[in-house]
Amino acid sequence: MAVNFEHFSYAYPNSDVVLDDITLDIPQGSFTVITGPSGAGKTSLALAIAGVVPHYFGGRQGGSVQVGGVIAAQSSMGELAKQVGTVLADYESQLVALTVAEEVAFGLETSGFGRSEIAERVNQALTLVGLTGLEDREVAGLSGGQKQRLAIAAVLVTAPEILVLDEPASALDPEGAAGIYELLYKLNCQGKTVVVVEHQLARVLPYASQVVVLQAGHLQFAGDLGQTLAFMWQQPALRLGVPPLWVIKLTLEEQIGLTLTAWKSEDEAAAELNKLMRTCAEGVAKSA
Amino acid sequence: MPETLLNIQKLVFTYKNAEQTLAEVDFAVNVGEFVALVGRNGSGKTTLTRLAMSLIKPASGKITLQGKDTAAMTPADMARSIGYVFQNPDRQIFHDTVAKEVAYGPQQLGFAPEALNQSVAWALRMTGLTELADSFPRLLSRGQKQKVAIASAIAMQPKMLILDEPTSGQDPWDGHNLMELLNSLNQQGITIILVTHDMELIAKYATRVAVLDRGHKVFDGTPAELFSGSRDIAAWGLLPPTAVALSQQLADVNAQNAAELLKKVMLAIKERSDDYA
Repeated sequence: MAVNFEHFSYAYPNSDVVLDDITLDIPQGSFTVITGPSGAGKTSLALAIAGVVPHYFGGRQGGSVQVGGVIAAQSSMGELAKQVGTVLADYESQLVALTVAEEVAFGLETSGFGRSEIAERVNQALTLVGLTGLEDREVAGLSGGQKQRLAIAAVLVTAPEILVLDEPASALDPEGAAGIYELLYKLNCQGKTVVVVEHQLARVLPYASQVVVLQAGHLQFAGDLGQTLAFMWQQPALRLGVPPLWVIKLTLEEQIGLTLTAWKSEDEAAAELNKLMRTCAEGVAKSA
Repeated sequence: MPETLLNIQKLVFTYKNAEQTLAEVDFAVNVGEFVALVGRNGSGKTTLTRLAMSLIKPASGKITLQGKDTAAMTPADMARSIGYVFQNPDRQIFHDTVAKEVAYGPQQLGFAPEALNQSVAWALRMTGLTELADSFPRLLSRGQKQKVAIASAIAMQPKMLILDEPTSGQDPWDGHNLMELLNSLNQQGITIILVTHDMELIAKYATRVAVLDRGHKVFDGTPAELFSGSRDIAAWGLLPPTAVALSQQLADVNAQNAAELLKKVMLAIKERSDDYA
């Protein structure tokens, strides 16, 4: 299920425009990453997919957002929630139940699923996020990282086509963050459209199919990973957002005048550099 | 001989109904250091800093601050020497202007009017908040709120600043500004303890790193030692900075052309990593 922004603009009540004339396609099955400095409008863009903007917040909007061909503003948050699962940056605010299992079951109970199906789906969702065994634990006693994974499980359990997550790994240590993104990639490979707001692009290098850069409410760039990072590298105000591995790659390209492949990991980078050096060495050996 | 500011000896702490959170941890911090405290979620980092602030009391062990036992000190006593910045700045902002918020701490400590004004003006200047002095703190951005929290802490003229994961959830732009601020505070003589997961920041800024793993201190040394490749840091949930990880994977090639390319590769890496690769 695709999402299409057509000349979409939005302002919260009594505020200036936070998104200005955004035209953007999020293809079905894509892994789309939204990035940019604070105040860029990233969260507002994510909330517009779920209809939270403008249905919940009110405010003014121009243009449209279509989710699977349906105009979000003409639908309701409840209808949209069947297609779009959202995990907020303030994930704790969306946890409402006493225990872990109750939290995950909540969305199914309110949709009228049967007891055994609920139990089975809760089980699956908790397994996916690695919280099996904590079913009866109180939500309040979980760590920040566990709560973040619980919020994701509570969304996954209703099997939405599109997952929208605002900084899904902000409270997690490096292993936890890697785990969340591996999970999101697995879901993406199963056909879900994944949209994440993420500052640390290093986390999404292996997975992102589209990276969208917002700055002060404007769409600055949207393209594949390589295109977008090359664009950010050229913009002094955006350069700091380029992940370390690509800082090395882009610096090196400038120095040696070669175009390297789009590195998705340190392993890929090392393999290419080692191959390049071997080729150089063989060249030297031949000419000697 | 460096002067020891904070000395933690054989510290044991256990939360109710839980496994031991800290097991006989020794941790001493000297004046002027910039120490990073790292480890997995749940490894005991925050607990250790809360103990250092006397916000909670240890089961056993001893903490001294400038040679004085802190067992009998209250958090207010500690606040004269140590500023604490929480991960979520909303938890420590109460007043309706930035200037009032920043002035509250030193007022409570009994600063005389002139010293108070000077201290607040200095704290606002250091954090770049002078022009926002009359703003309503709750309407500021997260990065700005965090600066308010830091200004509030340094306005009390502490010897040390402890920050609990201040860059987590921040964008790289705010994170960069924050680290530059901490660096300049450190240059001015304030000792820094930074709880973080960000190895790139540690490599760039910290003079020392202590690693906690399941309540035990498993490493205490320089970032260069930590990332030298001689230790299995993955077992502690840590990843080396990108530049280090990459350079460790590059083959050693001797031929002239390749050597030049390697030099360029290493130069690009070095530009990224400054002085630790």
